[in-house]
Amino acid sequence: MSSLRLLTSTARRATTFTQARRGYAEVNDKLKLSLVLPHKAIFNSTEVVQVNIPAESGDMGVLANHVPSIEPLRPGVVEIIESGGPQKYFVSGGFATVHPNNKLTINVVEAAPLEDFSLEAVRSNLQEALKVAAGNGSEAEKTEARIEADVYESLQSALAK
Amino acid sequence: MSSTWRNVFTYNKYAQITARALRSSLKEEQRAVAEKRGLTALRYQQWENGKGGEQVNLTVEGEKSSG
Repeated sequence: MSSLRLLTSTARRATTFTQARRGYAEVNDKLKLSLVLPHKAIFNSTEVVQVNIPAESGDMGVLANHVPSIEPLRPGVVEIIESGGPQKYFVSGGFATVHPNNKLTINVVEAAPLEDFSLEAVRSNLQEALKVAAGNGSEAEKTEARIEADVYESLQSALAK
Repeated sequence: MSSTWRNVFTYNKYAQITARALRSSLKEEQRAVAEKRGLTALRYQQWENGKGGEQVNLTVEGEKSSG
């Protein structure tokens, strides 16, 4: 009987031990974010809680103590969750790098807050791009229009939310 | 769909196209400021024996595609 109790108590101790050592990303720590464009820095080592990025391999959320990684970004929404509330920026594409010292740097060519976009402009640009993509231009022209249409479609769905 | 452009464009060109698409979708006032950033102009002239040669403008293609 007593040996059984000893066994259960060691088992319990073993579980608490593993829980303490688990290395998942944690919400308690702050992540230092730098969101940088060639002409200005929107965030410069600002402490944030979480950043959601549109990676080429799929959307992902980055918390503090994330495993170091490099992710290419699609044109899409970067959502920054601070203690004050979330902020959304649309980025044109670039790279996000998670550094080992709890830093996240996002380098993109262009970015702007969602409220700076005009839905009418996006719609008319999308129509134009789709027309060129379906037309009989050169392969380069059509591919260019297809890339643009992807950006506008992504913008449109971001603005519709 | 996402990587079919790789056969046609370099990554730099792709990044340039997406950035230009983003700029053209901004509201009027922000767009006026942003579109100036998108334009890169280059003109060169070769000088020999103290005389300037012909001026070569390399921005024609860029202006066409941004307009």
